[in-house]
Amino acid sequence: MSTKALIIGGSAGSFQIVIRILELFRPDLPIPVFLCLHRLKQVRKGFEETLNYNASLPVREPMDKEYIRPGKIYLAPSNYHMLIEKDLTIALSTEATVHHSRPSLDVFFSSAADVYGPGLLALLLSGANQDGTEGIAEVKRNGGTVVIQDPDDCEISTMCESAIKLTKPDQILTVSKIIEFVSLL
Amino acid sequence: MDIENQDIQAFIETVKSQSDYDFSDYSDKSLKRRLSKILLDRKLSLEVLLENIRADDDLLEKIVKDITVNTTELFRDPAVWHSLRFDILPRFQQQSNIKIWHPGCSTGQEVFSMMILLNELGLLQKTHLYASDLNEDVMEVAKQGIYKYRFNEGYLDNFDSVIRENPRVNDSYFDVPYSKYFHVDKTRDNLRMNKQMLTKPVYVKHDLVRDPNPFGEVFDLIICRNVIIYFNYELQNKVFKLFMDNMSPGSCLVLGVHESILGPFASRFDKKFQAYFKK
Ligand SMILES: C[S@@+](CC[C@H](N)C(=O)[O-])C[C@H]1O[C@@H](n2cnc3c(N)ncnc32)[C@H](O)[C@@H]1O
Repeated sequence: MSTKALIIGGSAGSFQIVIRILELFRPDLPIPVFLCLHRLKQVRKGFEETLNYNASLPVREPMDKEYIRPGKIYLAPSNYHMLIEKDLTIALSTEATVHHSRPSLDVFFSSAADVYGPGLLALLLSGANQDGTEGIAEVKRNGGTVVIQDPDDCEISTMCESAIKLTKPDQILTVSKIIEFVSLL
Repeated sequence: MDIENQDIQAFIETVKSQSDYDFSDYSDKSLKRRLSKILLDRKLSLEVLLENIRADDDLLEKIVKDITVNTTELFRDPAVWHSLRFDILPRFQQQSNIKIWHPGCSTGQEVFSMMILLNELGLLQKTHLYASDLNEDVMEVAKQGIYKYRFNEGYLDNFDSVIRENPRVNDSYFDVPYSKYFHVDKTRDNLRMNKQMLTKPVYVKHDLVRDPNPFGEVFDLIICRNVIIYFNYELQNKVFKLFMDNMSPGSCLVLGVHESILGPFASRFDKKFQAYFKK
């Protein structure tokens, strides 16, 4: 099954890795990429700008009902949950936080898994809470591919450890391997 | 709990046949999440829930209230309030009165935010405020103006950002005390809006899916944020038509920061600042 979408989730300790990943995408990237990242309250402003700094493709917070296009990089907006509808549009919601998080990785990953099924590639990075564990399990249940950052290589390992406990990922990779992996997309 | 498409259809049909509520044109994913949460919280299967709904109108009302999302904040998204403060509301200064409608007002934080800002601009006296929601329970909270304080400390930050600070002029600061508008009681864990503001807005139950304008007024400003994200494209257009038909010349519509007018009505508005101005 060829990859139809890449989703990346992370929290504390993932930011620098995401920045490096964003330098890698070629301009003719054939799939959409989604970032679902927890942000500290203090860095709500300027987050999008910072991610864009060295990114090879523009990173943008989508509007509700926007059509998903290949080659675009979507960042889950702060203070909203992001979901994907069957008709390949973005849906936003202000529903209660999940694991104290909005956007929540569980919410986003589950909805992406439901839409892209085996065509989904999910990447889980460093983080300090358990958000993402249920989402990663959903990706796997729907036949998608799961790559998790090696907990020993994480700045904060809670998130990846928790996900690995519930789900056997396709690969567990260090940052340098993740970089290699993404550059092959 | 996994909700399938036919489950959500069965739910929508049951509610529709038992009441005036129609969720056919709500966004799919959100509705599914809410329904599965309801089933989980009540430890019910969908079949049993639907059976109970058919037998019990009060339960149906409760479920309808649970299915909608009511989260809101005081001065949510300060950038929008900055734009209201410096770009949008001053345009109405010369008018003898200002009419504002908050459809989908939920527990009222947005309405209080508006009153506070209008008062700071000296416009509150001549403003008529109208607010509506599908859910009467949340409007009861709005009428009381009492909110939990814990986990809502962000309200004060937002107040500072919108009312005390001025992003357009460096280092300017308006020393407005909180007590001018509300009181925080940490032992009771509440934040209580001052009494003068409680009776100002008119609250009316209103369903954007099917009801006409409930106030018989045309509006200078309609502020409807984080409501239409729960509606599909068709229902959004229906709502835009309702708004447009009830807006005065020069008036504007403020949507949530991640909402936009797509489709046929886009050309009927000019997007300026954080608002859509009626052409
Ligand atoms: C997330 S709240 C938005 C509150 C506020 N406008 C804000 O942005 O902070 C959404 C509100 O829309 C209301 N709502 C949902 N469907 C509605 C309908 N068909 N007609 C009127 N209100 C509706 C819900 O009851 C809820 O209170």
